[in-house]
Amino acid sequence: MEDSNTMTIIRADTAGIPHCAHNDKERELIHVDCASHIYPDGSVGIHDMCFYVQKNEIVALCGPNGSGKSTLIEHLNGLLTPSKGNIAVNGRSITTDEHTNLWREVGVVFQQSDDQLFAPTVLDDVMFGPLNLGLSLDAAKDSAMEALEAVGAADLVSKLPNYLSGGQKRLVSIAGILAMKPRIIALDEPTSDLDPVHSGMVEHLIYDLKERFGISVVIATHDLDLAARIADRICLVRQGSVFAEGAPAEIFYDEVLLRETGLKPPQIVQVYLAYCQMRGIVADYNPITIEETMEAIRRQ
Amino acid sequence: MSATSLSDHIPDLNLITYYAETRRTCFSRVSPWTKFSLLILIIFLVTLTKDFIILAGLYSIVLGSYAGARLPVRKLFAWYALPVIFVLSLVGIMAWNEPGNAVISFSIAGIPFMLTDKGILLIITLLLKALTVVTYSLFFLMTTRYQHFSAMIYRIFPSPIDQIFLMAYRFLFLTLAMTGSIIKAVRSRGGGLIHSIHTQGQLFAEIFALVFIRSFERSERVHKAMIARGFSGSYRTAAEVPALHLYEYVILGICAAVVITVALNDITIWRIVTP
Repeated sequence: MEDSNTMTIIRADTAGIPHCAHNDKERELIHVDCASHIYPDGSVGIHDMCFYVQKNEIVALCGPNGSGKSTLIEHLNGLLTPSKGNIAVNGRSITTDEHTNLWREVGVVFQQSDDQLFAPTVLDDVMFGPLNLGLSLDAAKDSAMEALEAVGAADLVSKLPNYLSGGQKRLVSIAGILAMKPRIIALDEPTSDLDPVHSGMVEHLIYDLKERFGISVVIATHDLDLAARIADRICLVRQGSVFAEGAPAEIFYDEVLLRETGLKPPQIVQVYLAYCQMRGIVADYNPITIEETMEAIRRQ
Repeated sequence: MSATSLSDHIPDLNLITYYAETRRTCFSRVSPWTKFSLLILIIFLVTLTKDFIILAGLYSIVLGSYAGARLPVRKLFAWYALPVIFVLSLVGIMAWNEPGNAVISFSIAGIPFMLTDKGILLIITLLLKALTVVTYSLFFLMTTRYQHFSAMIYRIFPSPIDQIFLMAYRFLFLTLAMTGSIIKAVRSRGGGLIHSIHTQGQLFAEIFALVFIRSFERSERVHKAMIARGFSGSYRTAAEVPALHLYEYVILGICAAVVITVALNDITIWRIVTP
């Protein structure tokens, strides 16, 4: 996140039409190009959605309930196909048939782990994806064990998913995706319903996915504190499209933008702004983590 | 009663699985294939024989094994409620006016009713048959780890029946937990107490409908999560079922011989051992 203070905010124009940011095409893994999706009941899931993921980055999709975050994630994985617009992988637009193979590129960790863990044992569940990739039973087992070790859940291998705690279920869900070795992992509300300890473990794991495994991560979350701590880029989603995007340090200090999106700044930002107001100083630096905030206060 | 148990008289799936996963006795080390084969033999035996002594002996052995495996006997007797009600609802009519010595007799509107010693024996015999199979099935489930059980299902049943079984078991837990929390929510607001049959019936119908709708929604989410990992119609389990030891082959051979002898000769074990 070294360049987090240098990225500029790109936002929808005055007519509300968003623009795809001029990202680095060399690093681009997947690009949702002005896609729209209308559900069979006529409700609009996303419209004119422009979104991309680059190599080795963590992108946070932040927005209120029903803003289209989950619908976008389902498009990334190929669970939904856009009614309008298209999706490009590695710079090439994919055909309708190829949508069904997007799961090989983008793994999704769903919000409710109980919906994801369906197999009789943890090992069976984590092996499910690798077997679908065409791996042999032994190779799938090895891949599953490797993934379980990576998330620190190797001791759960023969357990029944029913007897796992919420945090363990979330770790196993992530292992189930990691075992498939996708290039991007999208997590829908990864820390919801978790206690602080497990929440911290999942957060650390998300960071590890990028740093250790070189996997790009997309998180859809209401937890702006989490997004502030780990994301390289924030996309504010409102009414089915990306309303603005930029570095956390810029987005989370733009109170007007957050208010327009229906969000509140992360607590650390609120504390720092309150501190600056109390001391009567103008913040010339936008800290977004505890360490950065401590440093900013120390410098004053 | 655990969180997912609806009644003391309905076998608690959570408790059954807890024993299977945690309780380690000599019966846990027996191959699941042996226990399954014995279940088949027991079903054959109780179907073929009407001999009270054989049935009583078999029930005693099964109950003794259940207790020997350190499984909860008091719970078992509570769980007998449903099979007993089922058997009595069937035999309650058949047992009357059986030929034999009258034990109870009376008449209603000129129609004579007589319960004979043979009628009572019929009730006891059928109860023994039912309870033997129920007890052994629970013993089998409570001494077999689920990963072995699922591997057996995967090997025995053809697709898609095996897939349905494998997924159904996992989601039975979730459905029971969901039903439990709905009932709790109803009770917490004063519901669930018997005011009238009509009110109670309506309440249960509403709970049933809610469970059905939520289960349907969950199944859609589960399917979506499976598709997201490339599900193409089938999945397999990795677990291996422990193979039979030599002594298990011997036990199975003896048991099979006993069942065949009973089936072919229609004579009691008592007559075999004391000619």
